[in-house]
Amino acid sequence: MITKTVECPGCKAHISVEGDPGEKILISCPNCDLNGYYTIPGAKIETGSVRIEINNLTKTYKDVKAVNGASFNVHKGEIFGFLGPNGAGKTTTIKAMLGLINMNGGQVKINGLDITRDGVKIKEDLGFLPERVSFYENLTPVQTLNFFCELKGADKSIVPILLKDVGLEDASSRKVGTFSKGMVQLLGVAQALIGHPSIYILDEPMSGLDARWVKIIRDKIKMLNEQGATIMFSSHILSEVENLCDRVAIINKGKIIAEDTISNLSKYLHMKPRLEITIKGLNGKVPDVINNLDGLENIYVKGDSLFLTCVSSLRSKVVTTLEDAGFKIIDMRTFEPSLEDAFVKLIEGDT
Amino acid sequence: MDGFNPKAVFTIAKKEFMDNIRNRWIIVLTVIFVLLIIIFSYVAGGQTGGEDTFGGMQNTVFGLVGISSLLIPLIALILGFSTISGEAESGALYVVLSYPVRRIEVLLGKLLGLGSVIVVSVFLGFGLGGIAIAATVGPESWVGYIGFMLLSIFMGFIYLSLSIFISAYCKRRITSIGGVLLIFFWGMIYGTVLLAVYFATGYGMGDLMTGNIPDWFFNSVVFSPGDLHQTAVYRVFGMETIDSMGFSVTIPEFLSTNLIMVVHIIWFIVPLILAYYLFKKRDI
Repeated sequence: MITKTVECPGCKAHISVEGDPGEKILISCPNCDLNGYYTIPGAKIETGSVRIEINNLTKTYKDVKAVNGASFNVHKGEIFGFLGPNGAGKTTTIKAMLGLINMNGGQVKINGLDITRDGVKIKEDLGFLPERVSFYENLTPVQTLNFFCELKGADKSIVPILLKDVGLEDASSRKVGTFSKGMVQLLGVAQALIGHPSIYILDEPMSGLDARWVKIIRDKIKMLNEQGATIMFSSHILSEVENLCDRVAIINKGKIIAEDTISNLSKYLHMKPRLEITIKGLNGKVPDVINNLDGLENIYVKGDSLFLTCVSSLRSKVVTTLEDAGFKIIDMRTFEPSLEDAFVKLIEGDT
Repeated sequence: MDGFNPKAVFTIAKKEFMDNIRNRWIIVLTVIFVLLIIIFSYVAGGQTGGEDTFGGMQNTVFGLVGISSLLIPLIALILGFSTISGEAESGALYVVLSYPVRRIEVLLGKLLGLGSVIVVSVFLGFGLGGIAIAATVGPESWVGYIGFMLLSIFMGFIYLSLSIFISAYCKRRITSIGGVLLIFFWGMIYGTVLLAVYFATGYGMGDLMTGNIPDWFFNSVVFSPGDLHQTAVYRVFGMETIDSMGFSVTIPEFLSTNLIMVVHIIWFIVPLILAYYLFKKRDI
C-alpha cells in the first residue's frame, strides 16, 4: 500500500490517497466536491519481490564509520528515494551497492545475487548515474555511448535515439570536453538507459540541471517506472522525491533512521497537517477565540491568512469556532506534512 | 564466479586508443619525436659518408637511442599517469565500473589501448626515420633497425606499466604526476649516479678510458629500464664494444641478450601485477 498526496485541480487542496501501485482510485475532494480518478504511480508490487536487499552494511574509513549497519529493501516496480544530509553515507552506500568499495561488513543483494560474487551478472541489468558524472574529454557523445553499448553488449542503433531523448542530438559531433556540466549530466542519463535495464540507481539525477531538464528527467523516471523498472534515487530536492517516490529511506551518520512511505513517516512522527484559513478583514491579528482553543500549534497570521497546525479532527472545531465568533471564512487550505518536514524532524531528532 | 571477457578488454582498449590518440600532449611529443628522428637520421646518415651498414653508424645509433630513451618514456608516462587515479578522481571510472566489466579487464584494456598509442608514435618516428636513413645509407641492416624499433616499443610498455602502477598506487592525479616525474628523473640521472659511485669506489677517469670497469657497474643497468634499453639496442646492432670520445667500453658476456630480455620482462610484469593488486583493492 502506497500513500500519495495529490493536488485537487479545482481548489488546489492537498488530498491524501492510498492504494497499490497501478491502482486507479476515485477521489472526491472534501473541499470542493470535485470528483476524479487518480492512478497510483508505479507497477504493481509483487509480494516478496525484493529487488535490492541491503543487510547490515558497514564501511569504515580509518576511524570514521561512513556506513554503520545500514539495512533496507527496494521492491520490484518501486521508485525508492534515498535521502540524507551531506556526508550522511548516501554515496558510500551506493558505491557499496555497485561493488566499487570494499565493505567492512554486511551484504548487498540485487536481483537475488550477491554483489561481491556476481557483480558482473548484476550489472548486466543495471543502469547507474553517479552524482559526479564524468566522461572522456576527447570522445564525442556518440563515441561515448557506443563504448558503453559495447561494454554492456547492447545494440548501438539505440545511440541516436538516446541522444535525442536527452536533447543532445545537435551536439553529437562535439567533443565531450566542450560540454557544460548540465550536458554531461544529460549524457550520464543517456548512458544509464543503455540496454533497458530493469533496475536503476540514480545518484542526484537532477543535480546541475535547469528546470526544463529536471522536468524531462522526472518524466523519464516516471515512464521507466510505468514500464516496470525499479528505481532507487537519491536527491537533495525533497519536493522531487516526494513527487516521485513510493517509499523513502533516510540515512544519517551512516545509519538508516527511517524507511517507509512518506505518509507513514508523517504518522509515525505524529506530524499534524497545517491549515491556512483566509478570513475577511483579519488584518494581521490572531483572533482571541483561536488562542483559547486547546490542541493548536504554530499559530500565526500573515495579512488575512491564519496559519496553524492541528490534528485533522480539530479542523471542523476551528472553523465552527471562528464562524460562531463572527469571522467570515473566504478560503481554507490543508497542507499535509511534507517529506521535508519529516526529514527535518527525523534528522533533528537523530542529532 | 564469472569468467574473463576478452571482448571487454578490446572495448576498453579501443576507447583508450581513441581518447588518447587525440591527447594534445601526446600529439606534440609524437611530432617532436618524429621530427628529431628524421632530422637526426638524415644528418647522421650524411656524416657517415655513405657507409652501408648501421654497424658503421655508431653515432647514428647513439643519437637515435638518446632520442628514444628520452621521448618514449615521456610519452608512456604521460599516457598512463592518471589512467586510474585521474579517472577515479573525475568520476569516469565510477561509470565504467558500474558496467559488467572486471577490474582486470579494465586494467588490461588500458594497457593495450595506451600501448597502441605508443606503437603508433614509434612506428611514425622510426618509420619516417627509416626512410631518411635509407635515403642516405641504403636499406642495409634493417634487422637491427627493426629490432631497435621493437625494443623501443617494449621500453614504452615498461614505462607504461610503471605509470599505471603509480596511477593505481596514488589516490590523486596530482600525486601521480609527482610519482611519474620521479621515475622519469631516475632514468635521466641514473647514469650520472652510477659514475659517481664508480669514482667514489676508487676508480678514475683513466680506468674508464681503458675499459677497466667492474661487473657491478654493468649489472646495475638492471635497475634502470632506460639503460637496459640502451644496452639491448647496442647488442642488437652488434655494438659490443663502444668507442666514443676516447672511451672504450665493452659490454661483458654475462650481460647477454637473453638476460637483458628477461630483465625487460620483469620490469614490465612486476609493476603490472602490483598495479592490479592495488586497483583490485582500491575503493573507487
